[in-house]
Amino acid sequence: MLGFLSARQAGLEDPLRLRRAESTRRVLGLELNKDRDVERIHCSGVNTLDIEPVEGRYMLSGGSDGVIVLYDLENSSRQPYYTCKAVCSVGRSHPDVHKYSVETVQWYPHDTGMFTSSSFDKTLKVWDTNTLQIADVFNFEETVYSHHMSPVATKHCLVAVGTRGPKVQLCDLKSGSCSHILQGHRQEILAVSWSPRYEYILATASADSRAKLWDVRRASGCLITLDQHNGKKSQAVESANTAHNGKVNGLCFTSDGLHLLTVGTDNRMRLWNSSNGENTLVNYGKVYNDSRKGLKFTVSSGCSSEFVFVPYGSTIAVYTIYSGEQITMLKGHYKTVDCCVFQSNFQTSTRSQLNPAFEDAWSSSDEEG
Amino acid sequence: MSRKRHRLVPETFGLKRRRELGDVEADPLRCESVHVAVTRCLRPGSAREAVAEIVRLFPRVLFEDALPPIALRSQVYSLVPDRTVADRQLVRSVRATNGKALSCFVGTSEKALQEQGEIRIVQLGFDLDAQGIMFTEDYRTRVLKACDGRPYAAAVQKFLASVLPACGDLSFQQDQMTQTFGFRDPEITQLVKAGVLTVRDAGSWWLAVPGAGRFIKYFVKGRRAVLSMVRKAKYRELLLSELLGRRAPASVQLGLAYHVHDLIGAQLVDCVSTTSGTLLRLPET
Repeated sequence: MLGFLSARQAGLEDPLRLRRAESTRRVLGLELNKDRDVERIHCSGVNTLDIEPVEGRYMLSGGSDGVIVLYDLENSSRQPYYTCKAVCSVGRSHPDVHKYSVETVQWYPHDTGMFTSSSFDKTLKVWDTNTLQIADVFNFEETVYSHHMSPVATKHCLVAVGTRGPKVQLCDLKSGSCSHILQGHRQEILAVSWSPRYEYILATASADSRAKLWDVRRASGCLITLDQHNGKKSQAVESANTAHNGKVNGLCFTSDGLHLLTVGTDNRMRLWNSSNGENTLVNYGKVYNDSRKGLKFTVSSGCSSEFVFVPYGSTIAVYTIYSGEQITMLKGHYKTVDCCVFQSNFQTSTRSQLNPAFEDAWSSSDEEG
Repeated sequence: MSRKRHRLVPETFGLKRRRELGDVEADPLRCESVHVAVTRCLRPGSAREAVAEIVRLFPRVLFEDALPPIALRSQVYSLVPDRTVADRQLVRSVRATNGKALSCFVGTSEKALQEQGEIRIVQLGFDLDAQGIMFTEDYRTRVLKACDGRPYAAAVQKFLASVLPACGDLSFQQDQMTQTFGFRDPEITQLVKAGVLTVRDAGSWWLAVPGAGRFIKYFVKGRRAVLSMVRKAKYRELLLSELLGRRAPASVQLGLAYHVHDLIGAQLVDCVSTTSGTLLRLPET
């Protein structure tokens, strides 16, 4: 590292290289942060977390009791030991709180004035952060498993919603109604994710073992169905065109949007080329997954070799994305880990657990504050 | 908690490869195998050596040499440290991703073993993941010996001569067999009777090993028995050296080392390195 710093000082190295080297070193040194804690508000499991993309300062969490809490992650006190305080929360006494468990929360990608939350009570609610009132509600016929809004979209404000029915619904925030339905899956949609590279590309994962890539401007159908055997029927044990040999639980694009990771209940994680849907056949080994709904995992961004953090029972398994090797297992939670998010500025990864609800911050040990 | 800061980013972006603890783990296992080269104490780096190693562990005497020595894919994973590299060396279709730090680069001139026709991969029926690997030469000699003097010998010889070298897949389709290779339906029925093909669904067949039923029976029983040895131990963990030193129970016919390689590679036990050697522990999940 000293070599890097002196080379940067002398102008021999690009500043980006130093930044990436430092990010990678921090990710490799991730440990449970003894100094930082998150205030405990939830009484039951935390299902979802999201850190706002603008500053990386505020974090939302949604619990299985329907409560949504907003935390401030920044340490403005001078003490090293710091508890991230909850700024506000939508508790059980709020008139518009979700009736059942909140499955997904997401900040509005462009600023923190708004966030969306979807829940098992068949609604997607759009909240105004400053007043904590509902700006809009979308009602569906089935329970909502997952929703996502595109982080790079400038020409549209569509929220993709995956429900228990086989149709993917696209809701338009500007007009306040559902504008599209994408047909093609046969069972419930467990995860949806927009591409961080192209604003019209959407990936969906379903319990019928299929994962599909869509261009939402196209009326006729999905672009590609991901096939784990890459079209070779001879290697397939069962019918072709399945991404996994079980339900496809989770989806995550890499930060450059060129590859897509999927996890399935066959205890496998697969890496796909997102432009042609080809299985790159990187072998991560057994990635234990028995979640009956979606599994939320995350990738690092800004490191020299990207890492993926996957909840694995009560630990988090960290793998290098492109070579498939397991770096480490982060142990520290007492019960099942549900989701994790990665904050690229401080290389912390926060995760939550099922019951009782704890959110822990992991950071590399020499982070200041 | 895993606190090992075992890597630093060197001058380039590649990760400095941690020296794998192959020595400690490999040694107790290698003591079991008879003809081991003592000069290299590391794990075999390539899939071919791994398959050869397992083939040496296979008990030919048990099957009176009628069965070709079969290695499982999970055993290859336990011997080759990087799974993606092992896949790439075994099967032709694994292509290198152009990730920024690909830690193992396979030279483009090296063709995969299956592509070269050196090994055959066979789907063993009991598990979706379990695939058997054997050298093509072994397979061919054993099958010819098994069908010697039988009514289906001619069909089997035609199959071995025309289909095996041409098509390296695990299964065959109806139109492939009739049109490309010119087999008629009665001939295909004879092949199924001979045990060379197993029916998969209407109009497609798996490649199979004649007489492999006994092997699969011993294998499934043995796997369960070795797992239960670990399960019954105190704290559900056993030192590898102690496990290999125990007397094999009656249901383990294929040898403890054979099964241990399979359990490690299939991740049915976790391998933990300790100061007293490798520890096998059942995963909590």
